[in-house]
Amino acid sequence: MPEIVITAEAGIVLEPEMKFRADAIVTVGDKVAQGQPILRDRRRPECVVTAPMTGHIAELEIGPGRRLTNLILYREDREDRHTYEVEASRKAVSDGSDSSSPRHLLQEAGLWMRLRARPFGSVPHPDSRPAALFIMAVDTQPLAPDPRGPLVGEMQEWFKLGLDALALIGSPHIYMCQDRGSDIIADERVKTIKIANLHPMGLAGFQIRHHFPARLDRQVWDVSLEDVCAIGYLLTTGHLPATRLISVADPGMRKTRLVCCQPGADLREISQAYMAPGQHSILSGSVLDGRDSRWLGYRHRQASVIKRPQRTRHVHWLEAALKRASRPMPVIATAALEHALGGMFGGMALLRALSVGDDEEAIKLDALSLLEEDLALADYVTDAEPRFATQLRTALNRIEVNT
Amino acid sequence: MMRGIWTRETVALMLVAAAVPVAAAWIWEEGVTSLTRLLLTALIGGFWQAIFTIGRAQPPSVTGGISALAIAMLAPEAGPYQFALGVSFGFIFGELVYGGWGRSVLNPALVAIMFIAFSFPTAAWPQVPVQVGWAVVPAALLLLGLGIIQWRVMLGAVGVLIFLGGFGLDLLTSATVFVLIFLVCDPATSASTRWSRWAYGLLFGALVGLFASLWDASSVQIAISAALLAMLTAPLLDELSIALWRVTVRYRHG
Repeated sequence: MPEIVITAEAGIVLEPEMKFRADAIVTVGDKVAQGQPILRDRRRPECVVTAPMTGHIAELEIGPGRRLTNLILYREDREDRHTYEVEASRKAVSDGSDSSSPRHLLQEAGLWMRLRARPFGSVPHPDSRPAALFIMAVDTQPLAPDPRGPLVGEMQEWFKLGLDALALIGSPHIYMCQDRGSDIIADERVKTIKIANLHPMGLAGFQIRHHFPARLDRQVWDVSLEDVCAIGYLLTTGHLPATRLISVADPGMRKTRLVCCQPGADLREISQAYMAPGQHSILSGSVLDGRDSRWLGYRHRQASVIKRPQRTRHVHWLEAALKRASRPMPVIATAALEHALGGMFGGMALLRALSVGDDEEAIKLDALSLLEEDLALADYVTDAEPRFATQLRTALNRIEVNT
Repeated sequence: MMRGIWTRETVALMLVAAAVPVAAAWIWEEGVTSLTRLLLTALIGGFWQAIFTIGRAQPPSVTGGISALAIAMLAPEAGPYQFALGVSFGFIFGELVYGGWGRSVLNPALVAIMFIAFSFPTAAWPQVPVQVGWAVVPAALLLLGLGIIQWRVMLGAVGVLIFLGGFGLDLLTSATVFVLIFLVCDPATSASTRWSRWAYGLLFGALVGLFASLWDASSVQIAISAALLAMLTAPLLDELSIALWRVTVRYRHG
């Protein structure tokens, strides 16, 4: 069993893509219980952020455009967990009758924000239903923890309950993406997809594009196995789970560490005692698309410790003139790039469409099923500048505005 | 964040490395005149690349070396001024005005050779020594192993050539294999989807077979003409294959 670490400080980082316009429910100095709502989105009341641990709010700053710029909590050692009223929802789920009360429960407890809708990768609308739901029980990112590992004992019960709730709220088509081992669940509602443990095949985007492409008029949701278990846990106990399983990985670590920590945990505290000598920076997320952060990101399940880049050496003006061109270098279609795109049909055509800003062609090539994380490996392999992930986000934003 | 190595210039350097033994075999056979011809071509190509680097801040590419080798080896033997004009035209209008290697639709060597051939039809086509053909084989294996040239294109073309040659190697002349590996399989200008790569390779092989049966011409001329036509068709093949794929997706997912 991985070690349980509740760090002394925790910070909430919401990626700009989540477009969260924060309204604070608490103020600095307030004592909060674990799982208690602390932030709500101004325009979408279904988006709620909860306290990762029992403690008090140490810093809270909301910047221009009501974007959250800083939210830090200090831990307090008292037993205090926020309890949600789950009786009605549990009954509704077991009857399979009414989907509105579990829906409200998830929205109230902040688990609704763990769902991700494609196209565009936003939090789903509170009353919407997806055309298909993908449960991701694999994570093929380099050195990511196996999401299936903790699925033993009570977790299986919680998983089944969470699945029932999602089936009631969600969709007639549920796809379970898992590794090549035994089936996680045998259920006539669920279609199991077995995936080789090879990045990028474990990313939801590739599976959705292949099995049930998202369209402008057809939303597809994806959710991770851990979050399905969290829904079941909430329905059973009335609490939110206190920890998430994460790995803190190479190359700057002496060994890869697997820990259960609270959401938004202090990665510096977790990794410090295990780092190799030298200067390092800590990324929340994988080495492919992680970002420099002291706090665990909202959706991340791993942190990577890498060598801090050396100070840039002096570049001769001629070399700079040759390299720093007015236009970036094109990428060349090699087998390496093809593998990085998971053998996607028309992958090269999609990259070309993105780099010239041809949104119609990108839609034709099913770019609507993809998000930034799906192109991170292609960016890594080709060292593309500007990054295809950024170009995809720009194209998606443009499509979203124009439709 | 970490960065990978498969940038444009990595691919270009690997292509050049694979071409070195071919160039060596050719110079060994043809003697010192071929070396001066290669140097002259590379000089003209390099000059235009430098002009575009200075004028448009467009990064040069070492694949210019491969284009120079192909032109020096395969271009018809016109006079020096005509030759220089053809090489300049090929480099500028075949590649540099589009933004350099990786953005162009045609290979500059093909454009240069066809320019010289059309403008000066009396110029004689050269012979390619058989040793060059053999030197291409390890280069092809290396490039296939590194995943730089597309095995679908190569297999399609070689398969058709063997089939049309009556299950013999008659159509696989030195000129044809050199053109196939270094010009037709050029990863920047060849077709880009799975299906269109097959079609592209098959088309090149079929055109070589067709021209060989209709014309009484040099194998270089046949290979170059077939390569130019196939390369012009590559974007169309891409479009067709994507349209076809969309039909299958519509059929499967509604």
